[in-house]
Amino acid sequence: MPMLIRFEGGQARAAADPYQALDDADPLPVAGDVVVSLARLLTEGAALAARSGRLGVRLGPAEDVLALKPFAGRLDLIALELPKFRDGRAYSQARLARERLGFTGELRAVGEALVEQALILVRCGFDAVTPADGSAPEAWAAATRRYRHVYQRAADARDPASAERLRAPKVGQGA
Amino acid sequence: MYRQDDIDAAFLADRTAEFRGQVMRRLAGELTEEQFKPLRLINGLYLQLHAYMLRIAIPYGTLNPTQLRTLARIARDYDRGYGHFTTRTNLQLHWIRLADAPDILDELAQVGLHAIQTSGNVVRNITADPYAGASADEIDDSRVWAEAIRQWSTLHPEFSYLPRKFKIAVTASPADRAATRIYDIGLRLYRDAEGELAFEVGVGGGLGRTPHLGATIRQRLPVRHLMSYLQAILRVYNLHGRRDNLHKARIKILVAQLGIEAFAREVDAEWEASDKAADLPLDELARIRAGFLPQGLTPLPAVSRRLEAAKADSRALARFARRNLAPHKVPGHAIVHISLKAIGATPGDCSAEQMETVASLAERYSQSEVRVAYDQNLILPHVRLDDVPEVFAGLEAAGLATPNIGLVSDIIACPGLDYCALANARAIPIAQEIARRFSDPVEAEAVGELKIKISGCINACGHHHVGHIGILGVDKKGEEFYQLTLGGSGGAPGEGEAAIGQILGPALPFARVAPAVGDLVAAYLAARQDGESFIDTVRRAGLAPFKAAVYADAHPL
Amino acid sequence: MRHALTANRLSDGEVVFWSGADWVGAFAEARLYDSEAEARAAEAKARGEVTRVIDPYLIEVAAMAGRDAPVSFRERIRALGPSNRPDHGKQAQGGEAVRALALAEGAARSSGRTALIRRK
Repeated sequence: MPMLIRFEGGQARAAADPYQALDDADPLPVAGDVVVSLARLLTEGAALAARSGRLGVRLGPAEDVLALKPFAGRLDLIALELPKFRDGRAYSQARLARERLGFTGELRAVGEALVEQALILVRCGFDAVTPADGSAPEAWAAATRRYRHVYQRAADARDPASAERLRAPKVGQGA
Repeated sequence: MYRQDDIDAAFLADRTAEFRGQVMRRLAGELTEEQFKPLRLINGLYLQLHAYMLRIAIPYGTLNPTQLRTLARIARDYDRGYGHFTTRTNLQLHWIRLADAPDILDELAQVGLHAIQTSGNVVRNITADPYAGASADEIDDSRVWAEAIRQWSTLHPEFSYLPRKFKIAVTASPADRAATRIYDIGLRLYRDAEGELAFEVGVGGGLGRTPHLGATIRQRLPVRHLMSYLQAILRVYNLHGRRDNLHKARIKILVAQLGIEAFAREVDAEWEASDKAADLPLDELARIRAGFLPQGLTPLPAVSRRLEAAKADSRALARFARRNLAPHKVPGHAIVHISLKAIGATPGDCSAEQMETVASLAERYSQSEVRVAYDQNLILPHVRLDDVPEVFAGLEAAGLATPNIGLVSDIIACPGLDYCALANARAIPIAQEIARRFSDPVEAEAVGELKIKISGCINACGHHHVGHIGILGVDKKGEEFYQLTLGGSGGAPGEGEAAIGQILGPALPFARVAPAVGDLVAAYLAARQDGESFIDTVRRAGLAPFKAAVYADAHPL
Repeated sequence: MRHALTANRLSDGEVVFWSGADWVGAFAEARLYDSEAEARAAEAKARGEVTRVIDPYLIEVAAMAGRDAPVSFRERIRALGPSNRPDHGKQAQGGEAVRALALAEGAARSSGRTALIRRK
C-alpha cells in the first residue's frame, strides 16, 4: 500500500490512511471512513452523507470537479488522479475545488505523483499525496521550499512577487 | 529595458540550484532518462543528433550589450564559438555537455537571462513586436505586456503540464510584425473608441502538421484583465485539450473541434466565474512599464545630410540603407536590420565575434539595445541617421551588412537534419543553395520582397506554411525530398493577410529544389504586373503558372 | 542486412557506437552484427547502461561504394557531423574512413533505424 504524506505548515509527514476505497459494487460499511467514485457519490449521495464516518470521493482526470458542488460541505476528502505525471488536469481540478467550491478538507494527489511536482501540487491546493516514486516526506518538504519567490497567485497562501514588491517598494536593482 | 530586481535574481538562482541537483541525480543514476527528460526540457536542454542543445530564451527578443557579450562568452567557453538565432527569437547552442549546463545557466542568470520554459508542455518564451519602442505606428510598447505575461507564466503551478506547448505573441501596432495569427494566443493591442487600451484576443493559431490561423475569441478585453483571461483560456485548454494523441494536443485542435463560438463560451463562463485575483496590480504594471520608458532620443532633421552624402559616395551603403533601414518614430533616427543571412552562411548563425561586434555597436550607436527578430536577423532599434555610415562599416567588417532584408536570400531555415533529432531532411544547405543562386544584389533587389521559409520536418519550426515560398523536408524511404508550397503569409506589413500556403505539386529531390526556386522566380518575373510583389502575383495569378514552370519538364516522380 | 549499435553518451551527448567491448566515437570502429539476434541482445544489454548512454538503438548498415556505411542519410550525418560545418563533428578529424562515409549515398531504401524512435 502506498505511503500517504500530508503537508501542514511547511512540513510533510507520513500519515496513516484511515479511508477504505470502495468499488461501486461494494456494500456500504456501517461505520468507518470511505472513498467512493463520483458516479457513486452522485447516485447514493444521501445515503453516503447520512453515514457517520468520513466521506471521500475519487475523481479521474476527465471528471468535472464542479459536479461536487452539492457535496462540498459534506466531503472530507477529494482524491484527484494523475494517470501519468505529464497529465496536468488535476492541477486545474484542484484549484477549482479550492477556489471555486471553497473546499477546505483534504485534497489528495494519487497516481503518478512524483517528488519533482511537490511545489506545484502544494501551490494548486493539494495537502496530501501518495507518492509514486517511493520518495520520503523529507524530500517532499524540501522540494516545496526550493523557491523563495513565486510569480503568480494560486490556491496556496503565497504572495506573488508583485505583492512582495508592493510591500518593499525600494527593492534593490540587480544586474 | 526591463532590469531584473532582487526577486528575479533570487528566483533564477533557485531555479539553477534545482536543476543542478537534478543533473547530479541523473548522472548518478538516481533519475531515469524518462524522469529526467521533462526536467531538462523545461530548462531548455534538448538531446539533438550530435550533442545536447541549449535553447536560451531571449524574452521578447530584447538584449543589452552585457547580455549579448555573455552569450558570446558562453558560446566560446562551452560551445564552438557560435550560436543559432531561431524564429522564436531564442538562441540555440548546439554542442553542449550535460555536466556544463548548470554552470551555463548560472552565468546566464548573472545577467538576467535563462532557458526556462524554452521547451516542454508549458507557456513558452513570449514574442513581441521586434520594433517595439521604436516604430511610429505603435500604440504601446508590446514588451510591457510580454514581460508581464513572462513573469505570470513562469513556473505557473497550474499550467506546468499542459497537453502540449503553448506560444503567445503580442503586438501593439496595427501592423502585425509578430505573426500573432500563427500563435496559440495572439494578442493585438489597440485603443478603443473611448481611448482605452484593449486587446483583441486571438486563439488557436499554429503551424505543424495541421496549420491553423488563429480566430478572434474576444474582440475587446480591457487590458487590466489580461492575466485572468489568459488563465481562463489556459484552464479550459488544460482540462479539455486532447492528451491521447500528441499530434492533436495543441489548442488549435480543441478550438477547431469545438468551434470558436463554443470554445469562447467555455472560456467566458470560466472567466466570469473566476475572481480576478490573477490580474496584475496596476503598481506592478507601472513598475514593469518603467523599464521600457521611451529612450529620450532627440529629434533630428528627417534627412541626414551626412548619410545622404555618404550614400552618394558608396553604392553599397546606399543599397544597405534602402534594404536594411526602417523608419523610426523619432525623426532623424532609423531601425537598422543586421542580416544573419550572408550569402552561403547558415541562416541565423552568429559567431561569438559577431555578437561582440553587435554589442559594441549597440552600446555606441543604439541606446544599448539589440533585438532578435522573428526572421532570424538582429536589429539595432535606435540608430541616428547620422551614425548609419559608421554602423554600416562596423557591420560590413564583421560580415553582417548583407543588404538583403526581406529579399529572396533572406531565408528562414530551421537547423534541420544537420542538427535536429526530429528532422527528416536538411534545411540549411537548401537555404545556402538558393542564396548562392541569388547572390547578385542587383538581381535580388529587382526580384523584390520574397520570403522563403524552410522546415526540415512537419513540426514547421521554419514556418514554411507562411512562406511566400515554403519548403518542407520529407523523408521518402530514407532520402531527403522537399515539398513546395506557395502563397503563405505571416501577415506582416507588405504581405497582406496571414495565409497558409498551398502545395505546389509532388515533392522534389534535394538537387532540384534550388533550381525550382529559380523557376518560380522566373515565372513570377514573367507574370508580374505593375511591379507587384511575388506574393501579390501568386494571389492574383494562382498556382498554375508556377506549377507549369516547376513541373514543365518533369519526368514522372 | 547487417546492424550496428549506436547511442548518445549521457555526459555530453556525443554520438557513440558499440565496438563489442566499449562505446567508441568512430563508426569505423563499430562492431557490425551479421546476426540480428546478437545485435538485439547487445541492444538489450546497452539499455541497462543508463548512466553511460541514452536511447541505444540498432541501425542498418550496408556496403556502399565498397565500404560499410549506415544505410540512412540521417545516420550518416550522425556519424559525420553537420553538412553545413565540415569543421564540426566527427568529420573534422578527416581521414580515409570519414571520406568514404561522406561519399556513401544512394543505397538508402529505408529509414535505417530498426526501431524508429522520435526523440528530442
